[in-house]
Amino acid sequence: MSRGWSLALRRTALIAAIFAVWELVTGGFGLGIVLTSPAILARPSSSLAELGPYASSGLLWRDLSTTLTEAMVGLVFGIVGGAALGLLLGYWRQGSELLEPILVSLNSLPRIAVAPILLPWLGLGIASKIALSFFTVFFVIFFNTYLGIRSVDPELVKVVQVMGGGRVHLARFVVLPSVFSWIFAALRTSVSFALTGAVVGEFVGASAGLGYRLSIAAGLLDTKRVYLILLILMIFAVTLVEIAKRVEGRLLRWRPSATLAA
Amino acid sequence: MSVSLEHVGIRFRGGVEVLRDASLEIGHGEFVAIVGPSGCGKSTLLNAIADLLDPAECEVTGRIVVDGAEPKRRSRRDVNLGYVFQRDALLPWQTIAQNVEVGLVIRGVADHERGERSRALIEMAGLSGFERYYPHQVSGGMRQRAALVRTLAYDPQTILMDEPFGALDAQNRMVLQSELLRIWQITPRTILFVTHDLAEAIVLAQRVVVLSRRPGEVKAIFDIALPYPRDAFALRGSEEFGRLETTIWQSLRDEFRAPLASGAG
Repeated sequence: MSRGWSLALRRTALIAAIFAVWELVTGGFGLGIVLTSPAILARPSSSLAELGPYASSGLLWRDLSTTLTEAMVGLVFGIVGGAALGLLLGYWRQGSELLEPILVSLNSLPRIAVAPILLPWLGLGIASKIALSFFTVFFVIFFNTYLGIRSVDPELVKVVQVMGGGRVHLARFVVLPSVFSWIFAALRTSVSFALTGAVVGEFVGASAGLGYRLSIAAGLLDTKRVYLILLILMIFAVTLVEIAKRVEGRLLRWRPSATLAA
Repeated sequence: MSVSLEHVGIRFRGGVEVLRDASLEIGHGEFVAIVGPSGCGKSTLLNAIADLLDPAECEVTGRIVVDGAEPKRRSRRDVNLGYVFQRDALLPWQTIAQNVEVGLVIRGVADHERGERSRALIEMAGLSGFERYYPHQVSGGMRQRAALVRTLAYDPQTILMDEPFGALDAQNRMVLQSELLRIWQITPRTILFVTHDLAEAIVLAQRVVVLSRRPGEVKAIFDIALPYPRDAFALRGSEEFGRLETTIWQSLRDEFRAPLASGAG
């Protein structure tokens, strides 16, 4: 058996063992061992049983697509906006000096704290969640782009200058590829940030979405449903991050693989 | 004259004088090596010739003339200079072939001609088959070869080399020295080669310039009367080579005796 398979097997076994113990102490396997109330610790099998009604009611798909839409639209706008401002300020020094305190202050603000002011502006619909998602992603991408421009390898700049390259050549051969590598490297973080923004936004006030359903279940002390939604969120996030990882690996294939694994 | 330095002095704005009153005439197609202790301003001098120094950081006095004009007065494209750095400085996001073609793209050379030229150069550098590899996927020696032919691609008349083989192991260094000699003999160009390796300077150059410790001054210039084609390997064992090495080392040695200057060469 190869190392990879043996590792996968051991990992699966560990997860299965954790759930088995959990099931056992919450009254599972017909043994009647119940350590604590189901409102505090729900039984995994009863959580999973919630999936049937959730899916058949059509709510699951509606929530999934709502949260996905919010996160993805926020992500795309955040990347485009952050990269655009980063490039602008990277080249325009006076502008960056002028805006620096504002950007640093806004960035230091916990994103969640902004959610309540977005509601009256943008309503309970997806717009306020897109805005929060955008807000979380924007600064990550902005700072990475800005640093990317500032940390361009001066030797590569010299190479292009000696060859007679002007600003356009410098941008094409050195600055933009260097900046893009910083942006792509932030893709994975951005994806999970976008999802956090969407879910937190739904928590504060919404009419659909996984975060909304989660806050309702939590309010009703429906712990088994809370667990189910957390599990769905986890699978959802892992899938998105995995896709981002693939995209990143593809776009940064010129890099030594060691940095990709890091 | 291909490169002419008249009383060139370089001083950093902080007050450190790097180079003092350096005068040197380098003819067309001549191969000149510059040796000297660390911090004597060898690299700074090359940067000054290539007009890569930031005027906000250092002040250059005297006159530097490349191909009949001062680099500052003309566009870089007309000066037609090549520069090979110690680190290969290949663009990591471009393949070997793309890297070789960068200078041609900048000069607006048509696609088909670009392809032809880069194919020929890649073959000359022994890199055939690696065209589509990224720099990190090939060895240090191959990267430096690619950097060398990238410079040759747009046919500069003067090539500045700043310890180009310094980062390579001894074997690779000798192989690349041989190749540089071979290329230089096929297509003679003016080469100004900075190195801290005296043997390398003697093996390659027609003249060796010794710079003193900082502030660097031209201390002595030695003619290397060894006939070309030279064999980079065999030459090192020859009597004439030994004699030259001893003579130049005596001049160079004093510059290493003084308290070690800090900073990069």
